[in-house]
Amino acid sequence: MKRVLKIVPLILAVLSCDPEPVLLEPSQVIADADHTGIFVLSEGLFNQNNSTLSWIDFNTGLPDSWNTSTGNSYDVFEKVNGRRIGDTANDMLLYGSKLYLAVSESSIIEIIDAATCRSIRQIPMNRDGKASQPRRLAAAGGYVYVCCFDGTVTRIDTLSMSADATVQVGRNPDGICSIQGKLYVSNSGGLDPDNPDSTVSVIDLNSFTEIKRIPVRANPGNIYSDGTDVYVVSRGIFDYGTMNYDSRLHRIDTETDIVADTYDIPILSMDLTGGKAWFYGYGAGGTIQVLDLATGQVIDSDFITDGTRIECPYSIKVEHTTRKVYICDAADYVTPGSLLCFSPDGHLLYRVQGIGINPNTISFCDISVRTTQYSGPPQKMGDINRVFEYMPAPGQFVNQLPKYEQGDDAAAMTAKCLDALQYGGMVTLGGFGGYITAGFNAPVRNLEGNDFRIDGNAYTGNAEPGVVWVSADVNQNGQPDDVWYEICGSERKEGRATTDYAITYTKPATPDGDSPWTASDSRTGSIIHNIYHSQPYYPQWYSNDEITFTATLLPDNVTYENGIYKMASFSYGYADNLPNDPLNSAFDIDWAVNDDGTPAGLESIDFIKIQTGVIGCNSLTGEQSTEITLITNLNPKE
Amino acid sequence: MAFDLKIACLTVICTLCLPVEAQGQIFSDTTRTEAIQEVTVTSDRTINPNSVTTSKKADAALMQATGSLQVSDVIKYFSGATVKDYGGIGGLKTVSVRGLGASHTAVAYDGVIITDNQTGQIDLGKFSSSQAESVRMVSGPDNDLLQPAALAAQAAVISINTGRPQLEGIKSKSSAQLKYGSFNTLSAQAESAFKAGKRNTVSLQGEWLKTNGNYPYTQDNGSSSKEMRRDNSDVQRLRLEGALFSDIGRYYTLDTRAYWFQSEQGLPANILYNENAARERLWNRNGFVQSTLSIRANAGSILRFGLKYSLTDTRYLDPKVSNTQGKTDNRYIEQEGYFSLLFYSHINDYLSFSCGSDVRLSTLDGNGAQQARPFRGIANSTMALKYASERLTLTARVNYLTTSETTKIRQAAEDFERYSPTAGLNWLVWPAAGLHLRASYSKTYRLPTFNDLYFEQIGRRDLRPEQASVTSAGMVIENEVSGIRYSVYADAYNSDVKDRIMAVPGKNTAVWMMKNIGLVTTHGLETGLELQTLQGLVRPALQITYTYQRSMDKTDSQSTTWNHQLPYTPRHSASAVTWVETPYVNASCNLIYSGEYFCNAYNGPEYHMPPYYELGCSLWREFAFKSFDLSLKAECINLTDSRYELVRNYPMPGRQFRLSATFEL
Repeated sequence: MKRVLKIVPLILAVLSCDPEPVLLEPSQVIADADHTGIFVLSEGLFNQNNSTLSWIDFNTGLPDSWNTSTGNSYDVFEKVNGRRIGDTANDMLLYGSKLYLAVSESSIIEIIDAATCRSIRQIPMNRDGKASQPRRLAAAGGYVYVCCFDGTVTRIDTLSMSADATVQVGRNPDGICSIQGKLYVSNSGGLDPDNPDSTVSVIDLNSFTEIKRIPVRANPGNIYSDGTDVYVVSRGIFDYGTMNYDSRLHRIDTETDIVADTYDIPILSMDLTGGKAWFYGYGAGGTIQVLDLATGQVIDSDFITDGTRIECPYSIKVEHTTRKVYICDAADYVTPGSLLCFSPDGHLLYRVQGIGINPNTISFCDISVRTTQYSGPPQKMGDINRVFEYMPAPGQFVNQLPKYEQGDDAAAMTAKCLDALQYGGMVTLGGFGGYITAGFNAPVRNLEGNDFRIDGNAYTGNAEPGVVWVSADVNQNGQPDDVWYEICGSERKEGRATTDYAITYTKPATPDGDSPWTASDSRTGSIIHNIYHSQPYYPQWYSNDEITFTATLLPDNVTYENGIYKMASFSYGYADNLPNDPLNSAFDIDWAVNDDGTPAGLESIDFIKIQTGVIGCNSLTGEQSTEITLITNLNPKE
Repeated sequence: MAFDLKIACLTVICTLCLPVEAQGQIFSDTTRTEAIQEVTVTSDRTINPNSVTTSKKADAALMQATGSLQVSDVIKYFSGATVKDYGGIGGLKTVSVRGLGASHTAVAYDGVIITDNQTGQIDLGKFSSSQAESVRMVSGPDNDLLQPAALAAQAAVISINTGRPQLEGIKSKSSAQLKYGSFNTLSAQAESAFKAGKRNTVSLQGEWLKTNGNYPYTQDNGSSSKEMRRDNSDVQRLRLEGALFSDIGRYYTLDTRAYWFQSEQGLPANILYNENAARERLWNRNGFVQSTLSIRANAGSILRFGLKYSLTDTRYLDPKVSNTQGKTDNRYIEQEGYFSLLFYSHINDYLSFSCGSDVRLSTLDGNGAQQARPFRGIANSTMALKYASERLTLTARVNYLTTSETTKIRQAAEDFERYSPTAGLNWLVWPAAGLHLRASYSKTYRLPTFNDLYFEQIGRRDLRPEQASVTSAGMVIENEVSGIRYSVYADAYNSDVKDRIMAVPGKNTAVWMMKNIGLVTTHGLETGLELQTLQGLVRPALQITYTYQRSMDKTDSQSTTWNHQLPYTPRHSASAVTWVETPYVNASCNLIYSGEYFCNAYNGPEYHMPPYYELGCSLWREFAFKSFDLSLKAECINLTDSRYELVRNYPMPGRQFRLSATFEL
């Protein structure tokens, strides 16, 4: 018996001689200095929760990778956020400093800070308890637009990072692009294979309403714009005879919004630049072709000249200046795909392997990206640990940043402000006079040079300055009931500021009404309710229908030139005035002055108050309001 | 009817003609009865030492000890079987044997094959363990010459046997059982068997089950992991069954069975991050009537006719879909007629012979505009020869398969014709130790399913049947030492699946298609040990299995999945059950272990599935009262609350309790 049992290990030994699986190894990027790198979104496999985001860094020439318990991963999203994106991330858009992902089956929009790859917001996309299935993204004028498979287009405000309006379009929209104040959405109706939709919706961006449906061939899908015209791929009805689609390309004239041309070219996906389109099509395997958009003729039927084989092209992107062509190969759909970069004459420059399963979107990035591995829940940031008072004036972000919910009182709103200031959120102060009062977690000592820092959302040409006040807890009661000293910024210093300027706002009769104001010098005006932000602008938790603020008024910094509103920055000494950086956002306690303008001579401060200092309004971006994100003590005790 | 009946008829006629010679012998010989016993007695033991390949039977004791609620539960304790389980009572459960894929495993109910032409997979979770007297799995050619042709042509067969009620000396017996368990799982069962006249036995059975199935699970997503509850996983089932066993005269037996099953259940969703809404519903109705007439001759010859008609009605509803109707509401009706003929005979003391033909005619109808509505005819014929001496068994069999297919719309698949041989050897090499050596070879085919051929845009009509060939060799010891029966077996095998039917992208990424593309080679080992105390007041028993499976993708040496392990196939898996019967109480403990595996053809780290185990235990006792017997049982399933997913994103239930009471009159 024992002898017989000896056979077992023998058999096992024989069996274990079988060859082991070999995994793909990534390969290095060869010198590409056009950008800081490339983001590649891979959708993964349907219902596997395995969408990934890869960052190919041109500095290192390698995809950003990290070690997991089971092996090497190229998913920077999981690396940074400690969780995975979800199921079937269908599209990615790099807009401003943020990446937007449309995660179709998980039905969310994921907003990511591109520089760190940190997720800043997740917007669930549901209607009537049903997943909306966000599919494709487009951006224009500070908004990101997402078409969802439930027949809607939703607008996302990139500042408040929330969905603020939805418009109904045709069935199962499968493509979206924006051009000249309009959105074009291809209504595929793909969920009714025998009776697909056959229209392209046109949406006016100003009114955010559907203004037309352009009839096209059945089952339109990918849609592109070259800045003048719109091109849409119409797949037609599946032909059970050939077991394939009979796809055509339409050109839509955006002046008249009608189909101007139809080309008999079976395009699957393409990218346009300089009057040409690089595409791969139905029935042609991995062949890449070039189309002349002016003539509608294929001018290169085989772009790849060095014999490089692409098994299954899954996305294509052309660099607009260098004309290098980037193609993602999904290979066999179950194996991590690869990114191939071709020279303009069709020679393979490099290939990055193993980046993710079914790579569907390529985004060139000019922001320098630095990722750090997730090491636990978000850490508290900044040095504020108390918010005493949050008194915004009416404004377009009020009741949104932070969000007012039914039943919230002043205490609830200050708690939300504290949460925002501690965890990287944003607080709006509304129009002129609106303010917030907060306490530092330790005294800020007045040392040589700058002592504290306030971050906002200003960028060049978009300053919304706020006046800063400081106070020391002289009576040691922990309450900001001591003397306040104004930080004397450049404008007060130069005598351009008006102190003790009072303003009174009146609550509008309707939630979407304007908020009128009168100032102490009899000046009047209104905080205009605009089309971009639909919530009420008057703080909803205020019990009075009138509110008066007294503040230091800074000079008007708004100029209008060539159709562009510019809001100039002041030299120094104001919050939300210059783009965030260690110098521009910093303040010196030595700048604090008494009412008469003489230096206050403070040794340290405990409290801070920030108050919107400008009255400005324009028809494009609405009224000016100071926004703050992070307040930091630059001289913490060791 | 366009079905080419010619070939089918031909095979039937051949079968009928063959026994003509032998028919003269019927009713004449009176000496040979042991030989028939040789065929039937083998099933009394859980490991059949005379089998030419791994053969395993779960009897009532094993089902009791493993706490099996569904037939699929007990199969997890069979070595060589890989159960794919989507979790919960309603989750699909299929069995793959020797790395061949679930479609190569046939399921027989009382000796008649169950066909699902639509998906090719039989959900073994739909059969409750209480409806089976025994469950038997043979992973390769079966020595049983009485096997109908359709089953003889299968790579592996799981037989659910309801058994014939034993009414020696009594007129009738009845029993009722109530079970209540975690997540509001309630089941009730009643059964009665009685004699109707001298020659007839009637058996009636009914079972009803209802569960909420809302078990807790952990959705693992790193920093966003959540504790959640399974949603939309309720199940309600009803089964009614009646059987009539008639002994018509001395030589004829007629067994007739009518079966009705209906269920309504939610389909718990794939747990996607952020979006977990599950609302799909599934209704299932299945009824069949089957009848087997056996004519036994004194010579040991048997002529057997089988007939079956089966109707399966399935409705799938997703009430919230973004199409014009706002829902997907699919209905499928599959009908099957089955006719079987088998002749078995002795040639001399050592040689026996059988031949038979089965014809299956199936249709699939439904409410989809693009549904092909196929009609399929399958004819299986088989011819087998067996040499059996005291120490040596040799079997050889030739199977012949022919199909014909028509569709209402579009073109039908082409007809197939395939021959496939099987052969086996069992040699009692050391009688004193009870050591047998055994070897077998089989080549079998599995037909493309209706989904493979016709499903919407991905089905392709030019598919060929998948071909599986398995060679196995091993040994089995069965012996008894001082009242303990022990069995040990180990079988190594090589299996190849050629022309595997897989979904692959077509000429472009937008259109996927089914294709005969795959080649999978599996090297495996199936081992087991059983100990059983045959007498004494305290009778412990133990069963251990270990399975090694190395299933390699050998499709294309240039492909990135070359040599990668087949998905959902652990290299190592094991099980253990131990139970003890005492005059006071009976107790059992059971364990299932699976090593790591992958959920994708590419064995990348993101597809790695960690090892898991599940431990359970139970206590039961029988009480004898004057007029009835009562048996009470308490079970704990997944004692350690092990949280795992067998199929990616389909969590398995954690710890559960179950109480049951059985009354017997």
